[in-house]
Amino acid sequence: MQNAKDTFYLALRNRLATVNPARTMTLRSVTRPGILVEDAEPFMPLPQLDAFTLCWSGLVADLHLPGILAQMSCEIRYTTAGTQPNAGLDRGRALEKMDDELLRLLYPYSEQKMNYTQTPAAAMGTLVFWSEPAFSPAAMDHDRLSRIATVTVFAFQEANEA
Amino acid sequence: MADLSTQNPCGLAQRVATALLRASGGTTACLQMPPLPGDSADAGQIGLDAPGFLSLPLAPAVFRKARATMADGQLPKYELLISADAVAAQVSQLKLSSAQALFTQAAGVVVAGKLFLIEAVSSSESQGTAYLYRLLLQEASGEWPM
Repeated sequence: MQNAKDTFYLALRNRLATVNPARTMTLRSVTRPGILVEDAEPFMPLPQLDAFTLCWSGLVADLHLPGILAQMSCEIRYTTAGTQPNAGLDRGRALEKMDDELLRLLYPYSEQKMNYTQTPAAAMGTLVFWSEPAFSPAAMDHDRLSRIATVTVFAFQEANEA
Repeated sequence: MADLSTQNPCGLAQRVATALLRASGGTTACLQMPPLPGDSADAGQIGLDAPGFLSLPLAPAVFRKARATMADGQLPKYELLISADAVAAQVSQLKLSSAQALFTQAAGVVVAGKLFLIEAVSSSESQGTAYLYRLLLQEASGEWPM
């Protein structure tokens, strides 16, 4: 299942670099596309602004198929405070821009599963695929505007997979 | 209306704060900083590569339990008071824009061999210049030795 999670994150990260090359962040001394996996980064007391944060939550395994089908819930959280030139008054527009970008990142809804524990990464035998996002209502916290989009990610466990 | 009276900053508040922290049993706290240059590989972003954090010593610093009300299931919180002179020296050495940038990049702070997470940072200022930084810390759940 970890291969599916890694594939999903890296697919979205690579797509973001194409969809909006300007959406970058500097994290641990590296400037990279503005998307991160929450459990692979240090603790942050406040959400990273203007970036997508992937949080893995639910897990269901379907055992009634020839192979085990894992269904993993991924919450994609994003928060913005708008831009400095507009004194944050464009935070609604900034959130809408991130909504649109997320829809573009998620389509197409599948990617070849890769094993990133090897160098170079090796293609595996199945696809990782995912549902359309379910958007939560926008939430206001002081001057920050946030939303959570939930996606269910599906992947078959392969025979040689840990 | 602007205050146009003459003020000559002489670093007195910074020296007093440093002396007070040292006299109050000042210790050394080590910020956990990402290495330069950082790990830009895919493996570094999915938890495969060890982050290789570097210890950045800050002294004198005073570490104490915060006076926050304890609650069930919550780890205790602590305060770390750090001399602004020590912070300024590291900000200058790392060529960072501000102390805030230094604390934002830190993944945690080690005091007496134990890792703490930084929850909030505030500063006390005199004549527009910080003389003391106060970090609100929470004990990290991992019990690994640092």
